[in-house]
Amino acid sequence: MTVSIVAQLVVSGALIGLVYALIAYGFQLTFATSKSINFGQGELVMVSAFFSLTLITLGLPYWLVVPCGLLFGAGLGLFVERAAVRLALQQKSEGWILLTIILGLFFFSVAENVWGRDDRPFPTPISQTAIQILGVDVTPVELSVAVGVFAIMGLIEVFKRQTLLGKAFEAVSADPDAGELMGISATNTVMLSYALSGIVAAVAGILVSPITTVGPTMASALILKAFSVAVVAGLESGFGVVIVGIFLGALESVASFTLGSGWREVPGLLLLILALAVRPTGIFGKAIIRKV
Amino acid sequence: MVRRFVPLLLSALALPTFAADTIKLAITGPFTGGSAPMGASMRDGARLAISEINNAGGLQVGASKMKIEVVERDDEAKNERGALIAQELASMSGLSGVIGSVNTGVVLAGDRHLQERGTAKIITPAAGSASMTQWVGKAPELSIFRFAAHDGIQAAMVVEEAINRKFTKVAIFHDATNYGVSGRDDLQREIKKQGDKLQVVATEKFNIGDKDMTAQLLRAKSGGAQAILIWAIGPELAAVANGKAKMGLSAPLIGGWTLSMSNFIDNAGKNGDGALMPQTFIEEPITPKAKAFIEAYHKAYGVNRIPSAVSAAQGYDAVYIFAAAVQQAGSADTHKIKGALEDLKEPVRGVIAAWKHPYSKWDNKEVETHEAFRREQCVMGMVQDGKVVFAHDEDKQRLASLAKAP
Repeated sequence: MTVSIVAQLVVSGALIGLVYALIAYGFQLTFATSKSINFGQGELVMVSAFFSLTLITLGLPYWLVVPCGLLFGAGLGLFVERAAVRLALQQKSEGWILLTIILGLFFFSVAENVWGRDDRPFPTPISQTAIQILGVDVTPVELSVAVGVFAIMGLIEVFKRQTLLGKAFEAVSADPDAGELMGISATNTVMLSYALSGIVAAVAGILVSPITTVGPTMASALILKAFSVAVVAGLESGFGVVIVGIFLGALESVASFTLGSGWREVPGLLLLILALAVRPTGIFGKAIIRKV
Repeated sequence: MVRRFVPLLLSALALPTFAADTIKLAITGPFTGGSAPMGASMRDGARLAISEINNAGGLQVGASKMKIEVVERDDEAKNERGALIAQELASMSGLSGVIGSVNTGVVLAGDRHLQERGTAKIITPAAGSASMTQWVGKAPELSIFRFAAHDGIQAAMVVEEAINRKFTKVAIFHDATNYGVSGRDDLQREIKKQGDKLQVVATEKFNIGDKDMTAQLLRAKSGGAQAILIWAIGPELAAVANGKAKMGLSAPLIGGWTLSMSNFIDNAGKNGDGALMPQTFIEEPITPKAKAFIEAYHKAYGVNRIPSAVSAAQGYDAVYIFAAAVQQAGSADTHKIKGALEDLKEPVRGVIAAWKHPYSKWDNKEVETHEAFRREQCVMGMVQDGKVVFAHDEDKQRLASLAKAP
């Protein structure tokens, strides 16, 4: 096993790992403000990708498709919040778990009926021809995934730290009741977090589609990995999901090469079990202290 | 009230069985999902044949003319759905026969229900060897027939092609389905059978839905593979072709006939060029009948390329073989049709070939008795600019002469 082979494996795995990280980041956004997660996040990725594909086939240029896709994702996120999460949170029930799963199934059926069950190629203006960087073959499309993931996560993090709205977001994340006393509407902040989470899902969909093709089941493999990443990293740290995502992706790729392709997923699952057994809050998570 | 009503209800239920002025033929397959190009093309090819027969007035059965009535079921390539559909069809009254199935797993899950009832079924285009070998030594009588070049033939052709191209080192790639695993076994068996001239440097597996094939391809590359022998379906085949291009690996893909699926060709784009696969029909008008068939298909379904030409042609010919059996049996009874299929007196002129006695009496030890295709009906196809063409020009004349033979 030469250095160049290892480098190729790590880079290819890490790029897919970044997509896991981006989807896991979508979980984090809503968990921060509302302690709830959209279990149908994968379907948001898929529906947004289908929507963007439709725009492309209608003849819209790519640079216009991206913002439209993101807006659509934000709308879907808001819909999930209103339909599945808000009432459950108000009543302090765990109903959002079942409701978000059901909404996911609903989106899946809608996609099957509207767009069909076939996998379709997603045209992109970015080149699919490989270039060599330091002996590693990557395609510009794969690099665009990395750039896109870092760009959207960076933007959201800057937004949270630098703008007034973002500070409100952080305040509600820290303590919703205290936030309400300071005049911040917790409901609006939760809505904002779901919209952001929807945007993140749409970005993931648009970025990954040229590689995975677009079909109703395109996100089902990704979403499981994203859950693993979120659990291992903890639901608090954006930096954590990136590190864990890259690590898990690279680990899968290396395991597949060294142990054989049938063993691809095993090390990642062992890591998941280990993480849960040793640090249930995740490697980068904070222990939640409940004062009674 | 009840006493008056019950007989009425019973007679209403019984009525449809008396109205047997049609031949009921079921067509099953995946019409949606990753295997849909094969399933839908098979169905559309079969529909074309059925509408030709019906437009000509139907089939001469005994004294009367009967039209063919189609029952369609989408198994979505799911084994459990296939089993449910087979159970439903096995107990359907007045059903004369079944044509279809694309996925070997679906065949394995469902066909035993049809066999139990003795319902005649022609499997097409599922090619996995296990579909027929499962009956060896188990069934004294068999109502299941196959109309597809089975993987045994295909694997032999793939290995032969690799040897003819002077390759010595190959990698075997396959997906984790019944089809992929049995294809891998066939390839390994054939390599041994053809004198161990190929050294297998890597045997790699992937799952349905996998898109990143880097690790598998690197293993093939570092082993020095000159060709990749592959058994999988469209989307994953495309992922392998795209990964191969990314890494600058020039070893060609040689594999099962699924390399001709439109969802491989479309998703792989120019990376799919040069892929080689056994075919029973290539969308080129090499005979007048093939020309008429291709034109009729394009016109009827508004396309300029058949998604899976092999499936469409096999669906078409399978209907004509079934129709010939119905006429010979002079009955809509599936058991009599099965008997006629085992001993067809008249040759059936199809679009692939003129079928002369395609099946014979089931021999418990020899699946070939219920297999229509032999090596001679198959050719090597190659993907070129988004289409499947003949890989070897001399095959054109050979196939054309088969179609003309009496």
